[in-house]
Amino acid sequence: MVGPPILFLCALVGYPFLYGIWLSLEDRPVAHAGTFVGLANFVADAQDPVFWRVTINTFVYTFFATILKMVGGLGLALTMNQNFRGKNIIRALMLLPFIVPTVLSTIAWMWMLDPGFSVINWLLKYSGLADPGPSWLGNPTLAMISLIIVNVWRGLPFYGITLLAGLQTISPDLYEAATIDGASTWHRFIYVTLPLLKPVIFIVTMFSIIFTFADFQLVYVLTRGGPANATHLFATYAFDIAMGGGQLGMGASVALAMLPPLALIIIAMSIYMKPNKS
Amino acid sequence: MTNIIQAASRRDILKISALTAVGGILGASRAGAAPKQMTMMHESSFIPAYDAYFKNTIAPAYEKATGIKIVYETVSVGSIQTRDTTVAETGTGPEMAQMAFNWPFLFDQKLVDVTDIAKIIGDKAGGWHANAAEAVVVNGKWKAIPFGNIGQLMNYRMDWFDEVGVKSFPETWAELLEAGIKLKKNGHPFGFELGHGFGDNHGWLYPLLWSFGAREVDKDGKTVAIDSAETAKAIDFCREFFQKTMFEDVLGWTDVSNNKAFLSEQISCTNNAESILYVAKRDFPDIGKVTGQAQNPKGPTGERFHMLNPWTHGIFTHTPDVQAAKDFMVWLMDPKQVAGWYDVADSYYGPFLHAYDDASFWHKEPRNLPYRDSMANSHLPGWPAPISRPQSESVAKYVVVDMFAKACAGKSTKEVIADASAQLKQIFKNA
Repeated sequence: MVGPPILFLCALVGYPFLYGIWLSLEDRPVAHAGTFVGLANFVADAQDPVFWRVTINTFVYTFFATILKMVGGLGLALTMNQNFRGKNIIRALMLLPFIVPTVLSTIAWMWMLDPGFSVINWLLKYSGLADPGPSWLGNPTLAMISLIIVNVWRGLPFYGITLLAGLQTISPDLYEAATIDGASTWHRFIYVTLPLLKPVIFIVTMFSIIFTFADFQLVYVLTRGGPANATHLFATYAFDIAMGGGQLGMGASVALAMLPPLALIIIAMSIYMKPNKS
Repeated sequence: MTNIIQAASRRDILKISALTAVGGILGASRAGAAPKQMTMMHESSFIPAYDAYFKNTIAPAYEKATGIKIVYETVSVGSIQTRDTTVAETGTGPEMAQMAFNWPFLFDQKLVDVTDIAKIIGDKAGGWHANAAEAVVVNGKWKAIPFGNIGQLMNYRMDWFDEVGVKSFPETWAELLEAGIKLKKNGHPFGFELGHGFGDNHGWLYPLLWSFGAREVDKDGKTVAIDSAETAKAIDFCREFFQKTMFEDVLGWTDVSNNKAFLSEQISCTNNAESILYVAKRDFPDIGKVTGQAQNPKGPTGERFHMLNPWTHGIFTHTPDVQAAKDFMVWLMDPKQVAGWYDVADSYYGPFLHAYDDASFWHKEPRNLPYRDSMANSHLPGWPAPISRPQSESVAKYVVVDMFAKACAGKSTKEVIADASAQLKQIFKNA
């Protein structure tokens, strides 16, 4: 019975993964035979200032986007867990950013962040706050902030819906008992909701970190890593080197740089998910 | 180039001439086990008539003449390199494909030597332009057949330039700066891409660098030459040009941004292909009437340069019947066929063959003539060094573009040159 899944994993996950590792150890120009070079590609990465810029960018992007999605998603789930008219429709609408293809929604954001057509800048201008509005994608700091905002917008429904599912598994009896004991709303959240929701928050955060860390589409459509590498992430930089530059080995080594931090996260996840035998 | 062409043996040339004469050109059926079908992969053109012409005119004509069906497979804009890479890597898929920039060099081991047919095609159409070989000749062999150059030139608003007293497009970068200062004050800034697009940034920054006498790498393709007084002058000029004529957003622009900004009347000048004028005439006729096109300005050296942006056609080595693909290529590039294809694209793809130097399509829109004339001083990134893997890596890492962009964003000239020089030395260390 375990044969087919193992075969499936080996073919679709194991082979590409091992091939990626092999590529990273080769000087492998596109459409040419490779030459084994050991860790030379990783050494070259370590000496490449853009690689370190990309590393910092990826951590900054992942950290802030994940925190904002976690806090926002929890707020969204708590709101959606209330009883109000049109609850089901609102819940369905909430999923829209997640359902719309990323490339499509990112193009919409591209227009919203354009200095000439930006609805945000238009509002800033007509409310007298800024004229002209900021250069959302031209300024290195604002470009990173813009990418984080778009990522949060896209990822919030995933958090919201998953945490909502978690909230609905909490028995109302527990809240009733806490209320009888004199717990305030805040105390009920701190001592009932949060501890019971913790496993779901943990899992959803881990998944989100993995997806955010390896993000590609959003950056590729909005900035392609510019201005001057201010928004390049591991995935976009690896793609440029491998496809644009035709250096498959070096591209693979950049992509593999994601492995150690992601591996640590997966290990943490595995330990946390291990059944408690006691 | 003559030497390269002579490298093809007389026997090869006679062989291919005989085949083409018997086969496609005269419309006779090919003897033996000719393939029933071959595929040509192309990036979708933004000119719909261009793709339609191949599908509706060229392919049926070839099928009628030879019985071989040519499938024209289009891929979306921006994804042709990924598809070419996949085909080259896996050795399966289309027999022929469109390439761009220096890809014939990147894929050279998976591309058939087409030196023999390059000679035939060139002879039949007045010979090749001198720089046709720049992107396709690898180790003395033609690895693709040059098709057309998508020139990157100046696009500007003639009416707004006129308003500030500039009656014709400035001849030098210094004069363009002067005009730009006046235009920005008049509410019409310039917009030149300094972000991570794939063409419009390199399209003006390399020519700017060259026209100041600076080079990224020496002719030998090994010695990094970016750290020079000429580079410093080019950077200082670029920073001033950016600060006095543009706005911050250009630092984050990709290739669509300047088209959008020009057509929405946000900018008065940019560097682009003919697409701005083409779309303006089609969708914004009022803007189309006042849009001018000009060659890039001259630098302090008195020279002007342009980016070579060649589209070429290669035959993959996995092609079962290489001769059939070569025959088709010769037939396709015969003026009887290809002239119509060039014509429907309104000179967007500037031919590399001298027979078209004064073709009627150049005169349909005289404003496109600077694109034709720019061919003489157009080069690939990295020029005057030969195409190489390190050069591809430099372009993929945007070393030159980011050197200018960082200076415009506030870093000192010395710092950005040091950064670029260190990066290039790392990239070219094994060249």
